[in-house]
Amino acid sequence: MSQHTREGSITSDHIKVTKRHGNSFRDKLYLPAIYDGVKVTFKHLFKNLNNINDIETLRYPEEQPTDITQRWRGLHRLTHRADNSIACVACFMCSTACPSNCIFIEATQRQDGKDEKMPASFFIDTLECIFCGYCVEACPCDAIRMDTGIFSLTGNKREDFVMNKEQLLSHKGAFAEEISCARN
Amino acid sequence: MTTAAIIVAVASFALGALLALLTIPVLVWLERRVAGLVQDRLGPNRTNIGGFRLGGVVQSFADVVKLLLKEEYYPSHIKSGRWLFMLAPVITFVAALLAFMAIPFADTLVINGESLRISALPINYGIFWYMAISSIGVLGVIFGGWLSHNKYSLLGAARAGSMVISYELPLGLSILAFIITYDTIDFNAMVQFQSGTFFGFLPAWGILVQPLAAIILIVSLFAETNRNPFTVAEGESEIVAGFMTEYTAMKFAMYFMGEYVAMNTASAVIITMIFGGYQIPWVSTEMLLENFSVFAFSLMVIIPLIITVLIRWMRKNNRVRPSIKADGGRDFETKVLTIAMVGMTLLVEAILIYLVFLSESSLANSIAVTLFQIVVFVVKLMLFNIFFILIRWSVPRFRYDQVQKLGWYYLLPLALLNIIVTAIVVVGVSL
Repeated sequence: MSQHTREGSITSDHIKVTKRHGNSFRDKLYLPAIYDGVKVTFKHLFKNLNNINDIETLRYPEEQPTDITQRWRGLHRLTHRADNSIACVACFMCSTACPSNCIFIEATQRQDGKDEKMPASFFIDTLECIFCGYCVEACPCDAIRMDTGIFSLTGNKREDFVMNKEQLLSHKGAFAEEISCARN
Repeated sequence: MTTAAIIVAVASFALGALLALLTIPVLVWLERRVAGLVQDRLGPNRTNIGGFRLGGVVQSFADVVKLLLKEEYYPSHIKSGRWLFMLAPVITFVAALLAFMAIPFADTLVINGESLRISALPINYGIFWYMAISSIGVLGVIFGGWLSHNKYSLLGAARAGSMVISYELPLGLSILAFIITYDTIDFNAMVQFQSGTFFGFLPAWGILVQPLAAIILIVSLFAETNRNPFTVAEGESEIVAGFMTEYTAMKFAMYFMGEYVAMNTASAVIITMIFGGYQIPWVSTEMLLENFSVFAFSLMVIIPLIITVLIRWMRKNNRVRPSIKADGGRDFETKVLTIAMVGMTLLVEAILIYLVFLSESSLANSIAVTLFQIVVFVVKLMLFNIFFILIRWSVPRFRYDQVQKLGWYYLLPLALLNIIVTAIVVVGVSL
């Protein structure tokens, strides 16, 4: 034992002794503890029975969540330019970055002279999507964002979950900066 | 047998079956709602039929439909013992159901000098019936666990077996103490004993006459019903679902319902043996019959008061928050239920007025008293079921060696000691 080396540094008033429970007669009886526990649960039961609307459960769907933050990744959207045309230049950065390969883009020539390319079609398979946000990070044009705040996506068949370009363009941003910050 | 005897027998059998079976969905719902409220949640409250949600009790029926329509699945390694695999949950369920049948719901009804028992099985050895039948229930658990050919199931079954040897003995010994005290093995006579008084002012309820045996009885019955804190046979954090691991669909539902029937039965036995059964304290059946008009008048005052409180509570709580526009038909439901409750109250008042002022028949009076006792019994049963549920959501599970230790080291010696003391006191009093 290395007590000699310790004796100098540790004195008895430095040692914290944790009190062990369960050895007293009251603890061993066990019934007083059950009584205390039931008292707590019954208090909650009675309080909530008395006024059930005090419970802070969100009554979804009548009540919608109000605590979605700006950084929360909802359903994707494609942003617009100032003249309401699509901001995307079909550079394929997002579909390259996508870890679940759920973005399908077909490029075409852009005629209005603002840029050279634009997507002819832009599909996101939201059943494959893992909502990681890498596409948003990868986009050099601020053309794809996940700031719609849409958390509930429902459909009757699998095809309903494949978002096309028009659907993605129609989603509104839930927060500021409606148009693309990089292309206008 | 006279016609009256046959009618009473059929009616009380129907009542017993209904009380045992119809309480299952209510208890499942109650468990989930109480669990929710205890944990500051809501619990299931959405399912409804035409806007009537009744606090969400409809959910249980939806669950039954779901369980009935589920795929029948058998593990492929169960070959020759499939019938036993299917029989196992039935054993548990039926044992719990049969054990309930000996419980008296009201005092014996005397019609033309013939006394008729108001219990599904008119037997005078009720406590033996209960002990014999209810301990069969664990056989279903052991069969199910063994036949599943699954380590978790086998462990669950082994634990259930070990539970039996740890609680069955204290249970029997504590019941023995009650038999010595009440000097009967008949449930109805036990309740009649408890309608007297004790030390002149206390109701002679088992919990006051025999506190130690009452506590041992309650603890053992919690173990017998496989309820928390003694759910060692299905500890989901250790052995998945224990003996139920391989069970699906209605076979699982049989185990599940069996647990609730067993809980209901245990509540009924506890009420009958130590909480005065169908009696309200200090008042025996003879007193009710002799002072029928006093009894009827006090009922006429009390029932509207209770209904008023209930309606006010419902109007306060059966609505949505002010911030929500759609109330999902809650207003309409509240209105209909209020009308129904007021109508029923008026009906009961009219019947009581008729019985007191116009009717001369003593038979009608005794039937009214019997109905009142049935209502008291059901209320007590539900209160004790809520106590069972509250305990489940308050107390963590025992480790399974701790259950054995509790049974063998604490409950068994205490029960033996209690029997000796009881015997000495009973002999001393009778000398």
